[in-house]
Amino acid sequence: MEGLPIDSLCKVSRIALTEEEKARMEKELEEILEYFDSISDVDCDSYDPAYHPVEIQPKFREDEVEEYISADEMISQTKTYRFFVVGPKI
Amino acid sequence: MDLRYSGTMGMISEFAASELPKDYYANLLSEIKEINKKLNAFNVVNEGISSGFPFSVKDNICVKGFEATAGSRMLKGYIPPFNATAVERLLAKDYGFVGKTAMDEFGFGSFGINTDRIARNPFDTDRVAGGSSSGAAVATAILKYHVAMCESTGGSIANPAANCGVVGFTPTYGVISRYGLIDYSNSLDKIGFMARKAEDIRTVLDVVRGPDKRDTTSVDRQITGVKKSRLYIIKGTLEKVDKEVALSFSKFIDKLGSEGYEIKEVSVEDIEKSIPAYYIISMAEASTNLAKYNGYKYGLKNENFVEQYNDFFTEARANFGIEAKRRIILGTFVRSANVKGRYYYRALKIRAKIIERMSAILQDGFIISPTLPMKAPKLEEAQRLPPVKAYMSDFLNIPPNLGGFPHISFPFDYIDGLPIGAQIITSHFNDYALLDFASEWEKQFEYRFKYNLGSL
Repeated sequence: MEGLPIDSLCKVSRIALTEEEKARMEKELEEILEYFDSISDVDCDSYDPAYHPVEIQPKFREDEVEEYISADEMISQTKTYRFFVVGPKI
Repeated sequence: MDLRYSGTMGMISEFAASELPKDYYANLLSEIKEINKKLNAFNVVNEGISSGFPFSVKDNICVKGFEATAGSRMLKGYIPPFNATAVERLLAKDYGFVGKTAMDEFGFGSFGINTDRIARNPFDTDRVAGGSSSGAAVATAILKYHVAMCESTGGSIANPAANCGVVGFTPTYGVISRYGLIDYSNSLDKIGFMARKAEDIRTVLDVVRGPDKRDTTSVDRQITGVKKSRLYIIKGTLEKVDKEVALSFSKFIDKLGSEGYEIKEVSVEDIEKSIPAYYIISMAEASTNLAKYNGYKYGLKNENFVEQYNDFFTEARANFGIEAKRRIILGTFVRSANVKGRYYYRALKIRAKIIERMSAILQDGFIISPTLPMKAPKLEEAQRLPPVKAYMSDFLNIPPNLGGFPHISFPFDYIDGLPIGAQIITSHFNDYALLDFASEWEKQFEYRFKYNLGSL
């Protein structure tokens, strides 16, 4: 098993660890990964992946407009300017 | 209020039949607030409740106008502008929403300790309430008339129910709409209930279950109550639980045997691998679900808009707790292009295998075990456990959760004054059979409660 690329994983998931957290995490993550590696010897190649535990039939609703939550309520949790949600600059 | 089952002694029918004193809720709320200082069952108490059978809601299920934090600092201040479907259906039947219950952050935990406000076990406040639906179990253990709407991903209903001595029911995946649930792991999350009587769970289940156009994974299927006279114990189970629990459980099984159940041991190939498989799937899904918490959409706000967006997101996401960070990092890893075959897809195949094997057994019997390998640990003991050890303590609850099988936990004994739970699993959509089983048990065994707030 190769080591866990913690720095690059933190970068892509936008997680910053303090030095203290990192020191603690490195050992713990390696232990967990070792535990995860224990699935490698399970004989399961003949199975299709189970994306859901029960069979779910695809469902589509009619493409109809309906009254639900007002647009104002939908964005009520965010900082807004006029009708726009304010976010960081890209 | 739905009184379809009023012929049996559920608390709901007892409550509905009573003349409620005018100040019932005023008194109850002040009692709840007082005891909550000690036990932390509730994150929010609904000051406006005035009528209806009281129900609480786990803090990861949305109730319009009430803060929903899912136990996380990241969602501090988030007030959903809508009700979860399950909440909406209970409110439409005049049930009274009493408050939001404490939990491990986003459901990440087995002891209720991964959050700022830690719920305490009502039997011994030095001990954990279990997790992740810790507050739901405590609320059920302190309120005489009440049902708790809660949620399980890998055991978050059965575990705290067993630790706090209440009935905890997790339905088949898809039976209750997840619309309005703050997702942890979409293919594993199930909304369910806790109560003091199995009959009350049946009553509310019938109100909330059924398809919902807002949740495409909710299923349109009848559920059954086919009784099984055989009880399977998975080989090796009792060797892995504490001696006192194993001893007590063996006596319980003997009793069930003498009442006509056939007890059999059974092997399930690779069942122990369902635990790492479960954690791989749940972390993979959690890491994608938590991507949306980035400091400007929900809850906690970062208003430092001049920052470059990567810095802005990273700064906001520092507010996740350590367990959430751990799961985001590992979940991101197991989905990485170069290893996802080895971890994520392999775990999904193991899930298929476990479902096939367990389904075959559940065709002609229930699977029974203690709910937990030990009685409720002390807070410090739980806090000292390394993550892998904590994950492994769920080994009895994870198989049914991974496979979406309905299961129930109910108290069957008390050791040193602490409740001990038994867990029964049945086949997909045979949910009523579990409630029937627990109701039968309740005829001969009286559950104990230290508090009875709201007694009439």
